[in-house]
Amino acid sequence: MTPRRTRFYLDKRNGKFLGVCSGIADYTGIDPLLVRVGYVLIGFATGFMGGGLLLAYFLVGWLAQNKPSEFDYEDTEDRKFWQKVRARPGHSVRDVRSKFRDIDRRLAGVETHVTSQNRRLADEIEALR
Amino acid sequence: MEDVLIPLGIVGMLFVALPWLIFHYVTQWKKNGGLSIEDENLLDELHDLARRLDDRLATIERIVAADDPTFRRPETERLADQRDQDHVFDHINERRRELDRRR
Repeated sequence: MTPRRTRFYLDKRNGKFLGVCSGIADYTGIDPLLVRVGYVLIGFATGFMGGGLLLAYFLVGWLAQNKPSEFDYEDTEDRKFWQKVRARPGHSVRDVRSKFRDIDRRLAGVETHVTSQNRRLADEIEALR
Repeated sequence: MEDVLIPLGIVGMLFVALPWLIFHYVTQWKKNGGLSIEDENLLDELHDLARRLDDRLATIERIVAADDPTFRRPETERLADQRDQDHVFDHINERRRELDRRR
């Protein structure tokens, strides 16, 4: 299977034990501490569902792959972007498009500025004659 | 008659209606949320490209603004300047101001 950005991976590097909770946090963008505390609290509240919750933890820890190193995020912006892609791919596509539009608009601003500056320079040269 | 109908109804609901409902939502979710691997790679590339262009454009805007103070840089870009990273052009501006003060 080719590695994909939108698949669930274990996050062993930031994980406490097997990296399952950390992987969930990385996948969804929820704070890892919240995921861990929530897991334990739900576990205690339901009596770990008769051991099923613990079994699920170990099953996921055993079956899911570790995160490939090429998917390490460059920075928090990159991390947030991919978390958004997992949650709402359509939105992130639109986001990228709006980014390109923003770049286009700013570039147009620079262009008009530079060209108008040249125009002013030409006027001054004309005045010196 | 009733003895047969009620269990039949329950079994029908459990084994037909419930999986139907679940699969209905699963297919819907897949239709909406799925990105094919090509789309994903394309999105990755475009996102990278947008960031690089953004950085380059920010540099150009900084050059133009340093050249001519009347050029108004976009609000977002000026906000981005307040990040803790320091820019070469800020140093240049600072040095310029220092020189002005000495004169």
